Amino acid sequence: MQKMGKQKNKTASFSFWNWVIASIIFRLILIYFPKNLNLASRPEVSTPLTSFRRLAEGYWLKQLSMSPYAGSMYHGSPLLLSLLGPLTVKRIEGQPNHLLYSLVSVIADVVSAILIRATGKNLRLAYLRSLESLDIVKQTKASGEFFKILSPGDAAALIYLWNPFTIVACVGLSTSPIENMAVILCLYGACSRLVPLAAFGWVIATHLSLYPAILIIPVIFLLGCGPDAPPRKLFLQKNDKEEVLNKSKLPLGFSWRPITHFAFWALLWSAYVLVLCGISLKQFGGLWEMFKSTYGFILTVEDLSPNIGVLWYFFAEVFDFFRNFFLIVFHVNILFMIMPLAIRLNHRPCFLAFVYIAIFSMLKSYPSVGDSALYLGLLGWFVNELADIQFSFFLFCGYVGVSLLSPVMHTLWIWRGTGNANFYFATAMVYACLQIILVVEGVSAMLNHDRKLRNLTTSKPQDAKS
Amino acid sequence: MATFINSKTIFRLLVLPCLLLYSSIAHNSSSVEATMHTNNWAVLVCTSRFWFNYRHMANTLSLYRTVKRLGIPDERIILMLADDMACNTRNKYPAQVFNNENHRLNLYGDNVEVDYRGYEVTVENFLRVLTGRHETSVPRSKRLLSDEGSHILLYMTGHGGDEFLKFQDSEELQSHDLADAVKQMKEKLRFKELLIMVDTCQAATLFNQLQSPGVLAIGSSMRGENSYSHHLDSDVGVSVVDRFTYYTLAFFERLNIYDNASLSSLFSSYNPSMLMSTAYCRRDLYQRRLEEVPVTNFFGSVMETIHTDAAYKALSRKDSGRFKAQMSLDQSVHHHERRTLINVNDQDEILNTKAEDQQGASTCPFTSFYEKLRKGENVDSLVNYGLVAMLPLLGVSSWLFQ
Repeated sequence: MQKMGKQKNKTASFSFWNWVIASIIFRLILIYFPKNLNLASRPEVSTPLTSFRRLAEGYWLKQLSMSPYAGSMYHGSPLLLSLLGPLTVKRIEGQPNHLLYSLVSVIADVVSAILIRATGKNLRLAYLRSLESLDIVKQTKASGEFFKILSPGDAAALIYLWNPFTIVACVGLSTSPIENMAVILCLYGACSRLVPLAAFGWVIATHLSLYPAILIIPVIFLLGCGPDAPPRKLFLQKNDKEEVLNKSKLPLGFSWRPITHFAFWALLWSAYVLVLCGISLKQFGGLWEMFKSTYGFILTVEDLSPNIGVLWYFFAEVFDFFRNFFLIVFHVNILFMIMPLAIRLNHRPCFLAFVYIAIFSMLKSYPSVGDSALYLGLLGWFVNELADIQFSFFLFCGYVGVSLLSPVMHTLWIWRGTGNANFYFATAMVYACLQIILVVEGVSAMLNHDRKLRNLTTSKPQDAKS
Repeated sequence: MATFINSKTIFRLLVLPCLLLYSSIAHNSSSVEATMHTNNWAVLVCTSRFWFNYRHMANTLSLYRTVKRLGIPDERIILMLADDMACNTRNKYPAQVFNNENHRLNLYGDNVEVDYRGYEVTVENFLRVLTGRHETSVPRSKRLLSDEGSHILLYMTGHGGDEFLKFQDSEELQSHDLADAVKQMKEKLRFKELLIMVDTCQAATLFNQLQSPGVLAIGSSMRGENSYSHHLDSDVGVSVVDRFTYYTLAFFERLNIYDNASLSSLFSSYNPSMLMSTAYCRRDLYQRRLEEVPVTNFFGSVMETIHTDAAYKALSRKDSGRFKAQMSLDQSVHHHERRTLINVNDQDEILNTKAEDQQGASTCPFTSFYEKLRKGENVDSLVNYGLVAMLPLLGVSSWLFQ
């Protein structure tokens, strides 16, 4: 029995690596198509923050001893310029242009997938441990077997790698794979209690794009309490009922030591990053110029070119008098949701991180499909808890439909002139609605799952209710 | 009592001149320029359209050619041509513009970069160019990106009159508009010295309202006088050049990029009987003596070369004094000779290179590294080292602090 189990595990891991290699080969095939299939010019893929052309422009300006932010083309981090800038100009004879840059994106995707898998394993172990301590393993035996077939780590990693959005963002030469890698690194570090790694990932993710700053809350919960677990109430109820004095089965309470370590390391890494940026921009206005061009650009929504988000259409028509007010409204829209979700889902920090990522991927100033790829991949961590999600087929069809119609509407509007901006904005609105439905249904499915666990623990010992 | 009153009045009498003296000293010291002449710009404007105003286009293009020949690059020339003569349907020689009936020079050549063309040449755009107040969408090639160390040549030609200049046959630039724009430029430190050269009828009246210091204005005719064309080209069918510009070009054709001819020699080359008008030069706003200003200060672009190995950095003010002294020294040495390009090295660099050459072994690597950092060299490699060092630091810290 054990041998079979081991063999099954081996075959499972073997096929996982098969799939990973297959995805790398698929990406390489797409990269070798001429001009990367023109994906880099799609507004869904490349936004003013993630565009490859703008990175090349910023690097060229830097080489000419001008500020990389001159001309309002490049709005990213100067560290990315030093890292990826030389790759934008290097050409190898006989190979497609930007091959090296595409390889970097592919490597970033693979590393993200490996980290997602490791975090998923952590989550699964924590889940099993919590089920054991609640003594409901037998009742969930059916789902336990399901675990062995497809663990959440493998599922999430494969969904991330084979998601068309991820592939398109990788082949389309955007910087999203690297931003996603930073976020996943942060979550991995927090789940595995590697505080310096978590702090590093968080600092880099915030530095590259502003919004992952709100992930500090799930990271604090992860470091304080540990990975996802049913609510603490259940453990206390169980102990009260059975009057078991076995305290070792209780989960650990909230501990502040890792949080102080995290704060220290976050400060250290941010000082390091800011010093490096300051040195590299010393002659061009220093850090204030950098903040104005990166964070200022993100927050003031200066560029109104169409993308798959909802802000551009609105800010194209808002009067100047109200512009600041509505900027505040749109950004506070994200901030308002932090506290209630944190209160309700504090026992499930990874799911909280998923919900935050989904929210800011939808409501950020310049969304792209690369951002959606991140949370769709992380959805795989919760395949077991979210098995009963409502409208799953509708959402799947909706995503497929939007990803097919959005380029069509864009072509109708821009290239053929038979449509107008409303056509394109309609698909963007539908996309936002789908994301909202996904978030809402996901949260309610997770809460239903918790409710189910509570029923299982408080019910009299009976036959398995699965 | 009388003496007391006397001393008080004497005191009061002395106070006023002291105040005047103090204010004049302050004014003088403030008018001493601490900036260094770093670049030259040219704004060349032709304001007339229609085929019979061919000569105005030829004037502007001739001056464009001269200014380019003497060293100002296209990036620092704003050329505004109100109409297209080269490709005009009435032009017998398509894509060619001549300023002489011998057709020796094709002014339109291969290398003409027109920044404002046709209907874009308006009074509004002209004033926007001068003051630098553009829409955000205007590209850099259409902007006058001068700074406080710039010498600007502003050449305008077309039809003009008493205190106005006609643009496009439909609007006019008045002398107070021009004076206002120049005043704005001075406030915003957009030039160090400005030479305005105008070739129209009654050109001198256009300068009546100028007040800003550092401005030298040359006009082709006085109030009540017309400026005439030089000759008619019977082949092309119209007059091809104006007298004032013709004699200006005659002066410049004798020069090359290294010559030291002064502005006073330019101005004294204008002969009223040949020009059939009196050329006028307004010098009261210009502090320097015309005998010591070479024409290439405005019409060409000869700079002393400062060799550094670092990426470009604007010179700080404390260095400018040092270089100015060297420049004047060299000028006095090569006064009537061919001027050579000067290599002026940073003092530190001379010491460093000498030390390294002689000794062979450099000084302590930390101090040389610190020197390099201070001078801003190798910033990129430092950032790269920092980025690369991040990864092992991350690994080590994660491993240690599990």
